[in-house]
Amino acid sequence: MRYIAGFIVILLAGVPYMLGPAVEQPLVTLFSLVAMASWWNLLAGFTGLTSFGQQAYLGVGAYGLYVLALAGIDPFVAIPLAAVLAGVVALPVSFPVLRLSGGHFAVATWVLAEIFRLSVTLSPAIGGNTGVSLPGISGYLPLLRQAVVYWWALAIAAGSVLAVWLLARGRYGLAARAVGDDPVTAASSGIRVARIRRWAYCLAAAGTGAVGALLFTHTLYVQPGSIFGVQYSVLMMFMVLIGGLGTIEGPVAGALIFFALQQTLAAHGPWYLVLLGAVAVAVTLFAPRGLWGHLGRPLFPIAHLQER
Amino acid sequence: MNVLELDRITKRFGRVTVADELTLSVRQGDAVGVVGPNGAGKTSLFGMISGDLRPDAGEVRFDGHRVTLLDPSVRCRLGIGRTYQVPRPFLGLSVFENTLVAAQQGARTRGRASYALAARVLGETGLADLAGRPAAQLGLLQRKRLELARALATRPKLLLLDEVAGGLTDPEVTELVALITAAREREGLAVLWIEHVVRALTATVDRLICLAGGRIIGDGGPLEVLASPAVKEVFLGTADALTEAEDRDA
Repeated sequence: MRYIAGFIVILLAGVPYMLGPAVEQPLVTLFSLVAMASWWNLLAGFTGLTSFGQQAYLGVGAYGLYVLALAGIDPFVAIPLAAVLAGVVALPVSFPVLRLSGGHFAVATWVLAEIFRLSVTLSPAIGGNTGVSLPGISGYLPLLRQAVVYWWALAIAAGSVLAVWLLARGRYGLAARAVGDDPVTAASSGIRVARIRRWAYCLAAAGTGAVGALLFTHTLYVQPGSIFGVQYSVLMMFMVLIGGLGTIEGPVAGALIFFALQQTLAAHGPWYLVLLGAVAVAVTLFAPRGLWGHLGRPLFPIAHLQER
Repeated sequence: MNVLELDRITKRFGRVTVADELTLSVRQGDAVGVVGPNGAGKTSLFGMISGDLRPDAGEVRFDGHRVTLLDPSVRCRLGIGRTYQVPRPFLGLSVFENTLVAAQQGARTRGRASYALAARVLGETGLADLAGRPAAQLGLLQRKRLELARALATRPKLLLLDEVAGGLTDPEVTELVALITAAREREGLAVLWIEHVVRALTATVDRLICLAGGRIIGDGGPLEVLASPAVKEVFLGTADALTEAEDRDA
């Protein structure tokens, strides 16, 4: 099955040649959702850190890309640098927020994202409240630019799923799952709880930062009011809970479901949001482990099995 | 040689004193039982040894290290393993993973060595057949065994057992005691063991401590301690009061 997943990725890489921008554009959105949800799942699903403030790192990624592009670096080359920047920014931030847990952590991360948003709003050098357009992109013809954005989106989505899987199935992931289950027992079993959480927080920030930078290359314009919006965290939560918290497939499934609902129902205005809410309630009540959690065998297993 | 030394540790919660200049040492390979009425400070004592609690004053030394202010994870890696009175397994992990994570993080083993250690401990604690089962599906006896397995997988020099026999039937207690005795003989580890089921203790330990009001009021051979007037007063005093109350009610 894993080979099929690899095959699908290769097939998707051919979309710009075969189907063109009309299909590329919505898929970039889908891929960014997959990546966002996967990183949110590393925090909430595996490490027990329910963040409401990952939009902070979408913003850091996007504005980081702006600063790097202004400095003359090709925006597409700068995407990974913006991701690293988001991870580095997350490190000092992690010290105060990781002193908290549960609901306090969730609120603190949200407040933090608001602080980030206000700081950008009050900084005319990076566009203030009106936002900025992406510099250094005019050298690309539109068709090529859209294709490169698409490939980056695909690479970030596939890379995020793969990275979270490799993390979750290894030594680190086992310790992280233990921390998520019971931090007290974890500590008395020798797990450095603070270190495990800090890694999860910074890596998730870097991954989310890559998505923020990607979204900027996609829309070519960024505004603090939208990129720092809490709706992104709500979205991540929705996708992961619907798909299956703490599984590798869950965020992908959740992103697909959300994307399908959005594409078919967005025209119906508010009813679309009502339906999203109804789906969330139904899944929480009838399939609390998420849709993938109830579908049986995982394609990307994370369990450690005893050798016979 | 002393593996554990508590030097005049004091801990208060508001007006309740759970440790009052408490001094205690445990030698390598010793098995020490801890008894005392509810609220005597038994579990708090464990908390201060394992690191879940910090004493207000005094010092905790383990295996030559001052550990008073160290994180529980560091103390575990130094060799302090503990079980909790109410078992708290990692519910989202399988029985095998519960033990494996302790072997990898607590005993700092890697790869095959960690798998072998986890498998060995599960065999010793009679959980081998349940290895693949989610920990959430276990009953009380099995959870208590898993608690013990997780602690043993960290390869402790000192094992803190907090009422592992509580809530079990007599045959289950006998089984568990046999298991702990076997582990002690194999590893030569020191055990500090809180228990209300005194029968389980006297069969295993060579030394018994009685705590009351955060102080040690009895320390010596199990039978000698249980027979001392101060200990009798703490336990039987309340028992007498109970009998009197029942007599009045009748």
